[in-house]
Amino acid sequence: MKARILIVEDDPNIGESLDFILRRAEFDVELVTDGAVALDRIRHQAYAAVILDIMLPGMNGFDLLRAVRADQQLAAVPIIVLTAKGQENDRRTAEAIGASVFITKPFSNAEIVERIRELTGA
Amino acid sequence: MAERLIGLKIRTARRGASLTQAQLAARAGISASYLNLIEGNKRPIGGALLDRLAAGLGIQRSSLDGGAERRIVESLTEAASDPALAAAPTSPESAEELVGRHPQWVDLILRLYRAYRHERQTVMALADRLNRDPFIGDSVHRMLTSVTAIRSAAEILGDTAALRDEERDRFVSVIATDSQNLSATARALLSFFENPNVRVRAATPMEHLDAFMFEMDNHFPTLESAADALRAHCRSGESVEAAAERIAGSSEEIPGDRRADAVEAWESRRFRMVRGAASAVAGAEARRLVENHAALGSDEARQMAMSALLNYVAGAALMPYEPFLTAANEMRYDLDRLSRLFGVSYEQASHRLATLHRPGAEGVRFAFMRSDPSGYVTKRLPLARLPLPRYGTACPLWPIYRAFQTPGVTVAGFGELPSKDRFLFFARAVEKSPPAAASPRHILSVMLACSVSEADHVVYADGIDRASAMIPVGTVCRLCPRAACAHRQEAPLVA
Repeated sequence: MKARILIVEDDPNIGESLDFILRRAEFDVELVTDGAVALDRIRHQAYAAVILDIMLPGMNGFDLLRAVRADQQLAAVPIIVLTAKGQENDRRTAEAIGASVFITKPFSNAEIVERIRELTGA
Repeated sequence: MAERLIGLKIRTARRGASLTQAQLAARAGISASYLNLIEGNKRPIGGALLDRLAAGLGIQRSSLDGGAERRIVESLTEAASDPALAAAPTSPESAEELVGRHPQWVDLILRLYRAYRHERQTVMALADRLNRDPFIGDSVHRMLTSVTAIRSAAEILGDTAALRDEERDRFVSVIATDSQNLSATARALLSFFENPNVRVRAATPMEHLDAFMFEMDNHFPTLESAADALRAHCRSGESVEAAAERIAGSSEEIPGDRRADAVEAWESRRFRMVRGAASAVAGAEARRLVENHAALGSDEARQMAMSALLNYVAGAALMPYEPFLTAANEMRYDLDRLSRLFGVSYEQASHRLATLHRPGAEGVRFAFMRSDPSGYVTKRLPLARLPLPRYGTACPLWPIYRAFQTPGVTVAGFGELPSKDRFLFFARAVEKSPPAAASPRHILSVMLACSVSEADHVVYADGIDRASAMIPVGTVCRLCPRAACAHRQEAPLVA
């Protein structure tokens, strides 16, 4: 059975690339563009990992991360946070809240696939 | 130092007035030989004799007894204690000597120091602007987003694995559109930096106004003159508000009895009456200051600045610079006494104290901040080393918030910032207008803060033991590194 990955990314082009490369790497992928929708999905569906962009409209990545980590049933979900290079404050904040892994934009596709495989054991 | 140099000052003033010792001694009712001893600093002097000598010389006593020099020595000492200038050791005695013997050089040094401080503030504001400007932050984010999309799509296209035609077309299209986005963002950024007004670009009209007041040091000499001109319109026995009403052309009757006006506080009404004439006497000058000023980048900001400047004129007319500064020094900045003496509200007097920046005749330098009970900052005038928040709340330990617990009572305290700069804070929650039945009271908290080095001049520092009452405070929670603070509301952004 394929591991299921949730991508939370509001830029359609980046979202489409992530979706494509993870599907090609044999993952089952869902893509959402909104933090609140993502939280709802995470609460109702088991994911092997979540790829989370910080800059999202409405509920941002930090808020989503906090909500997930505050929920005992969800707290163990591996979450990869996408941060922009140079925005070290974002990185520190995400680390304090409980991000599993950081990947800096712009990232390489191979790096994304490799880190997802490490986290999910797939 | 004043006592040591007083004889020298009397001699200098006497010679300046072309008087002989015998002539001045006769005016003061003493012998010429006794005056000679005084001028040689061989006899102490003070009290009524000093008054008579000052009168005989036709000058103010304060220019002999050293009150003015004391402030200058303190300014010089403050400049010397600036970490950026503290290379060579200096002593208070040498500062006194310099002030007594070479006042023009001291004036030059202090002017240079003020100019340096102003430039440093500007540099800090620029750095702050570059770090926080939402346009720059947003542009960088958009550029990184486009670069990420292009890189990812390019890697997919360059991969050896076969792509279907529609997949290839789709990712080629991603590269094309994001390249265009990248170019557009880069062009917008270039335009932003080529804009000569970028240094004072602000996101909101309030920020424009902040930048304007900051650049002008919240002091407007030409508006002070306009306020003096307004006062000069007073006929014999006429109050400034009555003259203002006459100038403004209002036929409204002025109540002689303050109790007659039950709707609006007398001080507020008086201020409003004088404000009404401010545009007649100072409108053109205020417009000249506002128009084309680089800090004011929108019509709304210019309107806000006009309104602030006309309020400034009204405040200056009700609290003329020199009498107000003199009274403030004599009363040690006691706001209750000052507001009673000048017939103004506590808040009006507080705000006026934050404008006493005339070079050569400066009062204690105060930061001013006004907040509503929700923490919204409705007015702010920062100090060089005491930044005040533009958005959201300041450190919850500042007295501006404690003051809401006891409206009408001044709450004072000392605080040390993480930078080790120390300040005296004092605040009072004041009621803006009497409440209508069943409506919430409109209460705002007004705070002033000055460097601890000037706290001895301020009555609100009395009786507070600095050693035990110096509370570690911050400015804004997110920027404060005191990780263990029990009052923390937000995670710190800095380690």
